[in-house]
Amino acid sequence: MPYASLKVCSNRGALEAVPEPPTRLDLARVRTAFEAAGVSVLDCRVMLIARFEREVTVGQDGRLLIKTTDEREGRRVLERVEGLLEAARAR
Amino acid sequence: MARGVVLMSGGIDSPVTLYLMLRQGHDVVAVHLDNRPFTDDSPLEKILDHLRVLEARFDRKVPMYVVPHGPTQVTLMRNTDRHVGCVLCRRFMWRAAERVAIRENATFLATGEALGQVASQTLSNMRTATASVGLPIVRPLVGLDKQEIEAIAREIGTYAISTRPGVCCQAVPDRPATRTSLLQIQREEDRIDVEQILDDCVRRAVVM
Repeated sequence: MPYASLKVCSNRGALEAVPEPPTRLDLARVRTAFEAAGVSVLDCRVMLIARFEREVTVGQDGRLLIKTTDEREGRRVLERVEGLLEAARAR
Repeated sequence: MARGVVLMSGGIDSPVTLYLMLRQGHDVVAVHLDNRPFTDDSPLEKILDHLRVLEARFDRKVPMYVVPHGPTQVTLMRNTDRHVGCVLCRRFMWRAAERVAIRENATFLATGEALGQVASQTLSNMRTATASVGLPIVRPLVGLDKQEIEAIAREIGTYAISTRPGVCCQAVPDRPATRTSLLQIQREEDRIDVEQILDDCVRRAVVM
């Protein structure tokens, strides 16, 4: 799943990634893929909050909020999330 | 002067409310509904700094209750209509604050709400949100515009704290309802165990 940009969110406390083109995630599949990779997940039905190196909120529309403002760290987390989202899609 | 509970969010408005209450000589207790993991640590850190500034200014201690609110949000998200999530969230905040008020022998609740600033602060939503509690609610900022509130915040030294970076609430829906009816909200609350949720969060409150 392509994420074109990683930018600081409006409140400047986290990094936000938006999928391009817009998408719709099956969060149940995403949760399974995350948990299979050893990532703990809080399932809120309309979003997931996943514990990677940093906490990541995953919305049904594929938006990600990564709780760091360090871009290098954010990119590292994003890469890992992208890989698992691909795995979820392939299931 | 009366004893009251002031809801603190970490934003610009609530420390101004607390300041006005203290300036009038009221005996106040602060309450923060801790929204993690839908936010980060920043609201709590900001509030602790707000309290430090205002306690120093008035030379008095303001006790603060930190009430977990994240688990309540999870229950609301899993079981109720997302569009009215902000109103349901506010109702639980009010209820938790009222429980603290009763425990603290406080006779009123105070908040930094001003009309129309955000989706949850329409008159309709304020009415449905506050119908969940019985104590009188004081809103010292309701007639002020944002610039006036910010000017006071700058003057009392809380503005720079409030505007530090943070994560905005992730539980806010994309299109929050701006008009809600009590019947609609009560129907949503019929899907959850309101008393159990409240008991759980207030029992785990931490006093600082």
